[in-house]
Amino acid sequence: MKKIKGYSITLTVNNENYDLTAEPNRTLLEVLRDDLHLTGTKESCGEGACGSCTVLVDDQPVRSCLTLAVAVEGRHITTIEGLSQGGALHPVQDAFVAHHAIQCGFCSPGMILTAYALLKENPSPTEEEIRRAISGNVCRCTGYAKIVEAIKSLADQGRQER
Amino acid sequence: MRLPPFQYLEPENITEALSMMDTYKDTVKIIAGGTEVINHMKHRLLSPAFVMNIAKLGDLGGISVLDHEIVLGASTTLKEIANSPVIKEKCKAIAEAAFQVASPTIAAMGTIGGNILQNTRCMTYNQSEIVLTGLDSCHKRGGTICLAVKGSTRCFSVYQGDMAPALIAFDAQCILRKSGATRTIPIIDLFTGNGVQPFSIGSDEILTGIIIPKQDGTSGSAYKKLRIRGSIDFPLVSAASVIWVGADGKITSSRMVIGAAGPAPRMVEEASLAIQGQLPGEIDLEALAGMAYGLTEGADNLAMPGAYRRKMARVLLKRAVQEALEDVKRGI
Repeated sequence: MKKIKGYSITLTVNNENYDLTAEPNRTLLEVLRDDLHLTGTKESCGEGACGSCTVLVDDQPVRSCLTLAVAVEGRHITTIEGLSQGGALHPVQDAFVAHHAIQCGFCSPGMILTAYALLKENPSPTEEEIRRAISGNVCRCTGYAKIVEAIKSLADQGRQER
Repeated sequence: MRLPPFQYLEPENITEALSMMDTYKDTVKIIAGGTEVINHMKHRLLSPAFVMNIAKLGDLGGISVLDHEIVLGASTTLKEIANSPVIKEKCKAIAEAAFQVASPTIAAMGTIGGNILQNTRCMTYNQSEIVLTGLDSCHKRGGTICLAVKGSTRCFSVYQGDMAPALIAFDAQCILRKSGATRTIPIIDLFTGNGVQPFSIGSDEILTGIIIPKQDGTSGSAYKKLRIRGSIDFPLVSAASVIWVGADGKITSSRMVIGAAGPAPRMVEEASLAIQGQLPGEIDLEALAGMAYGLTEGADNLAMPGAYRRKMARVLLKRAVQEALEDVKRGI
């Protein structure tokens, strides 16, 4: 009856399969950064409050610092590195650049992925819905206004999808 | 922050999960969203030998609308509950409570079962390992003192769940299963009132679902919450109310609950008795608010002073009742 999961796992990250060994106590954040060297995903508070470590699991934003790597085997994980295609920025990234929605950039990966997920679920969110969606992502530089403007520009144009 | 080592269990069905609970009992912690347990493990408030993930058990998720009740699977996410049209229509306070849990991303990860069974909290307990090593052990850490209320012989930690007060207001029941047995108890009875061991759930039991009974008549409900950061924080005090009226417009029954007021949610039963049979316009809101104040503990152990939180219990109960009454008027 004792069913203990082995430590060999296969993670699907940005449409690539990675076979790796991970102890059960390793978070998805640690595996992404330390094993797969996808350092676009940032660690800040480490306890789910700030949103810096946000990645997408099956297109839903999750806190990778609170997610066990072994628990997301078989799911589709998207990090900020997986958003751009062939060196071209994704429209959400383009909008952040165009609206100067980035200053130090530490919150940007999580913020952009959260915005991407919002627009995928709701292509035309209101400003209130945008502010609510990113309310779990802390930015200490921009004051949020530029970020909201960037997302709003895509909502207005309805062109978040390639 | 690194997690302590543990062995990972991933049952494929509920029978297997119950069998694992029977085998490992106190040495296993259950995760579904992981937002509570993983955090506590990082701070070394928990170091279980086994962690069992029940998120993938299909039979524990989803919202079922039956003839006389609505059943929420324990792994239903708070986002699903907040967005559910039937919950928003029939049990607005429950949808409002789910909507106000932490941030949208946490609400999409966190489950109703995990939210109900979250541990009590205290500023002298919910600290990093390095801070705690410099503090004497309080009741909750196996000691004999309370660091929040000097000289206290009991633990003053606070239950800060959002869902339980709203569910209790709707007289919800929870389904507890263990190998070979199932019991259904009112959610209020899940709480011991003891901050050290806040729940009466057995070490071999799993909370598998929540039953919200359907009520006859016109009703209104609301959930109100005090927190510093609207984007993330636990309630510092909260209030849920549900009011039913009959065809004559008089209140047939009501339930009011105060959250984050002590180690368990507290029903303001005196208030329910006071307004029974009254017309909505006859209610003495100040008197009800005073009852909530009297039930709220005012220990200085959370991010705001206890005295302020007690005063806000008055305000929030009043607002919750007013909003429920407005819903009732719209329903009539």
